[in-house]
Amino acid sequence: MTTTARPSADDPRVTLDRDLGVFEPVPPYPPRTEREAEFYTLGDGQMFINMGPQHPSTHGVLRVVLKLEGEKVVDLDPVLGYLHRGVEKLCENADYHHSIAYTDPLEYVSSLFNEWAPVMAFEKLLDVQVPRRAEYIRVLSSELNRVASHALFLGWMALDLGGLTPILWSFIERDEIVEMLASLTGQRMLFNYFRIGGVNGDLNHDFMSRLGDWMSRATEQIEAGNTLLNENEIFVRRMRDLGKIDTATALRMVMTGPNLRATGVPFDIRRAHPYSVFPELEFDIPTRSEGDCLARYLLRMDEIKQSLRIIDQCLHNMPDGPVMAKLPRLLRPRPGRAYAAVEGPRGQYATYAISDGTDQPFRMRIHDPSFIHLQSVGVMMPGHLIADTMAIMASLDPIMGGVDK
Amino acid sequence: MTVVAKSWNRLTLPGKIVFTVVPLLIVLTIVAVSAIVLLGPTVIDILAANIEIVRFVVAVTIILLITVPTAFLIIYMEMKVIALMNLRIGPDRVGPFGSALSVVHGLKVLMKEDFTPTGADPLVFTWAPVVVYLSAVMTLLVIPFAPGLFGQDLNLGLLYFFAIGGLSVVGLLMAGWSSYNKYSLLGGLRSAAQVVSYEIPLTLSVVGIILLAGSLSLNKIVENQSGWFTNWYVFQQPLGALIFFIAATAEANRTPFDLTEADSEIVAGFATEYSGMRFGFFFFAEYVNVFIISALTVTLFFGGWNAPFAWPWDVALSLDPGSYGIGMLMLFAIGPVVLTLLFAAPIWLASARVKWWQALIGGFVLANLFLITLGLAGAYIGLAWVAGLLWFLLKTYTFVFTFVWMRGTLPRVRIDQLMDFAWKWMLPASVVNVFVTAAAIVVVSTWRPV
Repeated sequence: MTTTARPSADDPRVTLDRDLGVFEPVPPYPPRTEREAEFYTLGDGQMFINMGPQHPSTHGVLRVVLKLEGEKVVDLDPVLGYLHRGVEKLCENADYHHSIAYTDPLEYVSSLFNEWAPVMAFEKLLDVQVPRRAEYIRVLSSELNRVASHALFLGWMALDLGGLTPILWSFIERDEIVEMLASLTGQRMLFNYFRIGGVNGDLNHDFMSRLGDWMSRATEQIEAGNTLLNENEIFVRRMRDLGKIDTATALRMVMTGPNLRATGVPFDIRRAHPYSVFPELEFDIPTRSEGDCLARYLLRMDEIKQSLRIIDQCLHNMPDGPVMAKLPRLLRPRPGRAYAAVEGPRGQYATYAISDGTDQPFRMRIHDPSFIHLQSVGVMMPGHLIADTMAIMASLDPIMGGVDK
Repeated sequence: MTVVAKSWNRLTLPGKIVFTVVPLLIVLTIVAVSAIVLLGPTVIDILAANIEIVRFVVAVTIILLITVPTAFLIIYMEMKVIALMNLRIGPDRVGPFGSALSVVHGLKVLMKEDFTPTGADPLVFTWAPVVVYLSAVMTLLVIPFAPGLFGQDLNLGLLYFFAIGGLSVVGLLMAGWSSYNKYSLLGGLRSAAQVVSYEIPLTLSVVGIILLAGSLSLNKIVENQSGWFTNWYVFQQPLGALIFFIAATAEANRTPFDLTEADSEIVAGFATEYSGMRFGFFFFAEYVNVFIISALTVTLFFGGWNAPFAWPWDVALSLDPGSYGIGMLMLFAIGPVVLTLLFAAPIWLASARVKWWQALIGGFVLANLFLITLGLAGAYIGLAWVAGLLWFLLKTYTFVFTFVWMRGTLPRVRIDQLMDFAWKWMLPASVVNVFVTAAAIVVVSTWRPV
């Protein structure tokens, strides 16, 4: 029988580790910038803590180097790139149809919006008229996806604050929607449903019956899940005045979507730069003025209600007709550039595509709201406690697949 | 020699086992019998002379043994109850309704690698779980489970409880410090801050009871609450009960005060680096702690082993089999048959499709159930400790359920809110509680008509 000798505290390896400070997240290179040099110099009574990339609540593989004073965060340095797959480059080497599939796994809880932005950009390049029925189906399915994404957010928010139950309740909601979309698109998460010039497949009976069943009890179900948290004293006290950001800073940080609307700016691309059939639909843009985590949380719940309104109108106004425009199999748009943005559950999902006349995009730039929002943690987190870092992060709702692209 | 070896090799495995075990058993039996015959009286004399020590050793052994099934039961309960609250099914594979899953968990923890990280202080790292576990288990010694069923009736029982219970923070600090991990260190320091802060309102909240009972002995406190449930101290000390319950939750590091092992912030805190049975000790200690704080809440505020109502008349079961003579024998001989037939008759008469033998089987089962019920009722009435234990466990597990319920419902508080709550609200409230109780006692004892 062999036993491994246990290294004692004065083992040379251990003392070496301690002397060199290998357990401190010092970068293996001399500091490149002044900011880096300042950050990696510890003051009196301060310590680094390495949160992530393997941490239960960094929403994937985000790594945040926190400089702590006791439990208080003094400074932080988010380290990105653990999930980088080079999607933009992949898209440049695939033809226009294929590049849509690459954009799906960017923000994997709201895939339809990831598809919609490039599809719209390519349609502008090609000058395609999308059939009205296809536009309605796009709105219907993407609003469903928005509800699913927000439902997941509400659960995660509670889980990062230590509540066990809401995440499972919201997963019930999300699972129903995702199964519904699976019967429409054939996939649960990475739908690959939107096509240039329409959608892949018409509404089917299974989807419609599931949707009708769900719509009849959706409002009650979502309310039931929310009452678990909204009136909870612990939850509200932790969320209020946490990660507060004012309108000017939010605009300076280029925030969009619910995170911006929580600071009081009624900016919604569906109304500001209308696309698809949104001008025909009735819905409000909920805003809140506080700009804290609670406002961001409550705002998303209001958005779910508006999404349900839109879905209801889509079902009532659904026109007949084809779901796909007549297009050649190989697409060669004329040289030019196009930009398209859609309002997703996290904000502005945009694509800037340049065509050089071949069947592949010359350059495709993906603007992802998660990445943009994550930069504001540097403003929000310092001064808060270590427990709040997770709450602030969750309230911004970043998806690391989209951040790292 | 070769003959023996050859015939031994021809034996199958069961044969080998039988031929090894049976002679061994025979030898052991002879040794044991002769030892009992020769030394028995002397040993019994010695034990009888030191009956207090024997009682203590037996009590400690039993308490150490019951912690394991108690922890298993509460772990299973938590898994199942939280699963139902989450609209999940929960454990349902091992045993009926998954009830053996916590046993399997225990085995898994035993078989896992016991890992010590590089840079950890091995001595402190090894002993931390033991300190935590023992400090939890040792407090069980003074809790009265039923009349006459307690480890030790210390006249300073309550003080002993808080003194030993406060030791667990030493273990948590040891674990947090020795792991050589910053998350563990944060967890250990959090637990120190939390437990030390909540120790004060916890202890002050029971001062009212000490004043009312005039004793620190838990047995005395429980006896004072006998009779109808209106005698329970929760009705005289509602504020004290509330403070005690909240502070005890914080003491046991349960949700919403489970900051020391906050998995979404500091990744299980002090337990991050632990694996195998060392982690198992922490895990057991947590659930034993849940049982203990529930038991203490029941003991102090909810009447302990007292039933919530007093029997309106004196009940005593005085069976003296000798006095019945031949009648008793007849009862034993004929009783089961008569009972079976009595229960079988309505079954048989109820439907024409029931065969006579089916009715007999049904009657037999029902008769047995009737006798068991009768026996249990007799034990409840006749044996005070059966009734006491029943009520005690019923009340205690109600509180265990409350803790599990809270875990399924509430999010976690933040460390500064936790400290604010302890020092700005709980401490003044418990001090007020002490003064109001003391004033009330003085007023009542002064103005009581003689």
